[in-house]
Amino acid sequence: MFKGESSYIAGAKGNFGKMIKNLRRNYPLLFFLLPAVVVVILFCYLPIYGILIAFQDFMPGDKILSDTTIWVGFDNFSRFFNDFQFWPLMKNTFLLCIIGFVIGFPLPIIMSLLLNALKSKRMAKFLQTVYNAPHFISLVVMVGMLYLFFGRYGLVNNIAEKLGFDRYSYFLEKGAFRPMYILSSNWQDFGWSAIIYIAALSNVEPEHHEAAVIDGASRFQRLIHIDFPAITPIVSVMLIMSIGGLMGVGYEKVLLMQTAGNLSTSEIIATYVYKKGLTGVPDQGYATAIGLFNSIINVILLIIANTVSKKFSENSLW
Amino acid sequence: MEQSIINTNKKKNRMKESRSDRVFYIVDMIFLFIMAAIVIYPLYFIIIASISNADAVLGGRVFLYPVDITFVGYAKIMERADVWTGYLNTIIYTLLTTVFALVITVLAGWALSRKKLPFRKFFMVFFIITMFFGGGLIPFYNVVSSLGLLNSIWAIILPSVLSVWNLFMTKTFFEGMSESMIEAAEIDGAGHTATFFYIILPLSKAIMAVMALYYAVGQWNSYFNAMIFLKDEAKYPLQLVLREILIASETTTGGSGETILEQYRLANQLKYVSVIISSLPVIMLYPFVQKHFAQGVMIGALK
Amino acid sequence: MKKLSSIILSAIMLLSFAACGGNNADERTSNAVDSLVEKYGYQWTDTTKPILNAEGAKDISFNIYSSKNASALDYNDMKVMQDLYESTNVRVTWENVSESVYTTQKNLIFGNAADRPDAIYHAGMSAGEIIKYAKRKVLLPISDYLDYMPNFKKILEDRPDIKKQLLNVEDNKIYSLPRIEEMGLLQYPNLLFINKSWVNKVIEAGAVTGITSADVKDGLELTAAQMENILKYFRDNDMNGNGKTNDERPMNFVYNNWQGNQCDLYGMFGLNDNLEHRVIVDGRVTYSVVDDRFKEATNFISKWVTDGLIDKVSFEQSQDNFLANGKGLEIYGAFYWWESETVVSHPENYVVCKPLLGPNGDQTICVSNNPEIGTGEVIIFRDCPNPEVLLTYFDRYYMPEISAQINYGPIGIVYEEEKDENGMLVQKPIPEGVTADELRLQNAPLGIIYLNDYAWKNVLNMEPRAKLRLDRLDLYASPFVANSVKPVPNLQFTLEELNVLSNYETGINDYITTNLIEWLLKGGVKDSAWGDFKTRINQIGLPQVQKVFQDAYDRYASENK
Repeated sequence: MFKGESSYIAGAKGNFGKMIKNLRRNYPLLFFLLPAVVVVILFCYLPIYGILIAFQDFMPGDKILSDTTIWVGFDNFSRFFNDFQFWPLMKNTFLLCIIGFVIGFPLPIIMSLLLNALKSKRMAKFLQTVYNAPHFISLVVMVGMLYLFFGRYGLVNNIAEKLGFDRYSYFLEKGAFRPMYILSSNWQDFGWSAIIYIAALSNVEPEHHEAAVIDGASRFQRLIHIDFPAITPIVSVMLIMSIGGLMGVGYEKVLLMQTAGNLSTSEIIATYVYKKGLTGVPDQGYATAIGLFNSIINVILLIIANTVSKKFSENSLW
Repeated sequence: MEQSIINTNKKKNRMKESRSDRVFYIVDMIFLFIMAAIVIYPLYFIIIASISNADAVLGGRVFLYPVDITFVGYAKIMERADVWTGYLNTIIYTLLTTVFALVITVLAGWALSRKKLPFRKFFMVFFIITMFFGGGLIPFYNVVSSLGLLNSIWAIILPSVLSVWNLFMTKTFFEGMSESMIEAAEIDGAGHTATFFYIILPLSKAIMAVMALYYAVGQWNSYFNAMIFLKDEAKYPLQLVLREILIASETTTGGSGETILEQYRLANQLKYVSVIISSLPVIMLYPFVQKHFAQGVMIGALK
Repeated sequence: MKKLSSIILSAIMLLSFAACGGNNADERTSNAVDSLVEKYGYQWTDTTKPILNAEGAKDISFNIYSSKNASALDYNDMKVMQDLYESTNVRVTWENVSESVYTTQKNLIFGNAADRPDAIYHAGMSAGEIIKYAKRKVLLPISDYLDYMPNFKKILEDRPDIKKQLLNVEDNKIYSLPRIEEMGLLQYPNLLFINKSWVNKVIEAGAVTGITSADVKDGLELTAAQMENILKYFRDNDMNGNGKTNDERPMNFVYNNWQGNQCDLYGMFGLNDNLEHRVIVDGRVTYSVVDDRFKEATNFISKWVTDGLIDKVSFEQSQDNFLANGKGLEIYGAFYWWESETVVSHPENYVVCKPLLGPNGDQTICVSNNPEIGTGEVIIFRDCPNPEVLLTYFDRYYMPEISAQINYGPIGIVYEEEKDENGMLVQKPIPEGVTADELRLQNAPLGIIYLNDYAWKNVLNMEPRAKLRLDRLDLYASPFVANSVKPVPNLQFTLEELNVLSNYETGINDYITTNLIEWLLKGGVKDSAWGDFKTRINQIGLPQVQKVFQDAYDRYASENK
């Protein structure tokens, strides 16, 4: 017992000593970090006390900690969990996010590899510029175009009818919402998200390729064995961070695309909370509580993703 | 010297190009062209919709070429002085944000990428937390307000100078750099600062170009902070000005009959016009930024 | 390490709490008014005289935050506002933001407790917000100051129904100033229009019986069966003569839009449906969606949908798309809308129909709950100094002649200085290059007004379009609604009741919406599904919501008589 204790102390001392030594040698690195830390403290940590609103009956102008604060414990959470829509909302949100992720995550990676493999670099550059352009389209225009193209009398249906098919109401069928939402989002952003991978690919040393060519590797083999490994670190980190941000789907686009017909698939947590805010009692506490709930799910996902990644590859976020 | 290596490579490649390689290149090309077509058509549509009669657009009668060409939308936007000040403001905000953000992100990304950084784990958690937990709008507003930034352009710039997401991407990029090279520099007696500025920075053009692009476009497209923090309309960025014009043309409060019709027509045309007005400059600038990361920057330095 | 970080965190948190501003609203002392009278000549009894003297105009001013229509001039530069200052000596500094910015900033204005304006104009406060802020003593109880508001006081005395819509149930006080524009246009939001020459073609072809081409004029009355035949003919034939038989849209509307929606169709089965499916019948709050006639009607309408008589696009299109497709080549057979003039290029080709006569002989229409009284239009913060003066100033807005100018634009720009022989305001000729609406939006702030029957008869004329629609409603809408049926007015709830609504309403709405559209588009509702629906909707809180509305309505109706 005594022994254990003393060795514990010694260990701590040892660690402490190491720390001091490390600090003495590497303190300049802390200055590198300083501006970022200041910004984060100012704009993220100073306002973070707002999380407490999740446990309050809060109206703008209320003080967050004072004797007039109305604490409601976990009421805001239990109101959400007990809502009869809770499970459908969770399901819709999860499905939208997960399918979106499964398609949206690999697509830019594949595109960057294929672009990189193009023989004509000028062509690659040109295509890349084209792929980036949709990123700049505003949501309103994006959804407006979806309606014009996929509406009952839109382009797609007009072509389908010419080919002898019946008109299909993409906006009224609950089955069409998710594909339309996800594909249009990917359409808008695959090029933009590919940029980081393309930059990472530019660091592949040509010698590797030359050596492989001499060994008789085909271009496709080189793509798999040289190009892809070169970007795995950034891919892993992006993967972990994306999984950690999985539930973070906003309400704007979904709301714009929502019709009575697709409501049963398009009602997600974010839109539901938004609507609740418009009717009945304004309730900052409720919205904050749901935001916090989302964050907690995200954190759990992040930790799982990081742990798994650490286990199966040497890449991890921390 | 370098040139000649590349040339001989090319020859070698051509000689060795197998049938499977040829198939690969062709399939690759076709696939990328199909994707390009899928991307280009809607872009083309936005252009023709912005100069077509709004009734024809909304009625689905515009798809291959503009109908009843009109430049009313462009005229309406160009004639407004606030659009031009908006442009100027946006350029200023974007430049300032990008410069600050680059410095902060690259410095911090480098520090975080070093295993030797004291309290490294703590700082990682410190940054990760902010990706998930925020205090919400009202506390954020009150903080910015108590910093005295209300109605100041710094309220637009300062909160945008660090994205933790971008920070982690930068960190990962640095982690991928050859460790031996850095150690060599340190053995040569270079301190942290010297290593960073003389060895690392020159090799980081690619990541800096990408970050500059992400930060710049993020700021270019944003309007929310401007909307809540700026009172003075002369400081509005372009996106907010365009948004206001759009909303102005959509509101029908008190209007009736012909006005409603005229307004929704204009509103619908302005939607498309504003996309073009606001994004064209950035899209055109893209190739210049692209230069910096589309070529292998590492190679030369390593030799 | 964890400890260290938590210490830092809590230190930061403490700091930030300390940074939060204070908020006290002091009760006013009783002799404040006396000193106002003494020093600044404050008077509120003569509504034609200035409220303050020149001294007051110099010393007292109010800072009012207001959203404005984007086409409107800055309120400080508006002639109406300047004229009001001339006539009252009450100086107001307006802080204008656009409507979209206001929506985002609203919470921040309330949140920034240390630095709020004196009042918010166009505040757009919901009943829930008012009740919660009132409880927190953020808002000024306007009803305590009625003595200084002769016009508003009189409105409340004359119109207990308006008063009841404003009174906070929790403490029986009024916290907001209303906008009251009673034209009688909103209660019936739909009219049925049909293409005259197309119907005549159907009659010529003998595809419909019981009507002759002499009947095809405004006020055309059709049975459901006749309508069905007509729509079938529209569907199958090249009505507009462009060589295609498939581009005609027989019947068409904008589903669940606030006007021009599907609700009138339910009138064929005797239901006065609306978007909330909630209406007062004989003093009872009733829900059309649990009425068995609703099932019958839904099945009937659904058949029109699956047969292609009602174009499916009606369920997905926005108002803009609906309006755009009405232009150019005629493709609309029959449609529901506010008026025909905005929808089609040639409104003269269309006639207004009476409500459709249902298979069981029922003939009625939608009764909507769109209120003509907007509560929560102006609120005053408790910290406002000299609220009596501000309220006397706002009270002037309720005088008919000022209301008219607030709503339509000032004398001198929109109206002539001289009135006509009946004392009515006369429209000035519209200057070159602007439309009447542009002129109005530019020069009228809109907002708190009182325009009722008296005003329409004695002060100003209704716009011609409004008049036209009113005449149509008198002929083809109002006569078909039973006296026992009333829309649900603005009701005041207790906080507890509001919580009930907040817990259930969004869920119930979603449940109804998803089922109803499924039935309408996919061939109707089976008896078993209908039974399940009724059971389920009771489980998820419809009775609770209904009870809340009934209680609130009973309170409204009881003292109203």
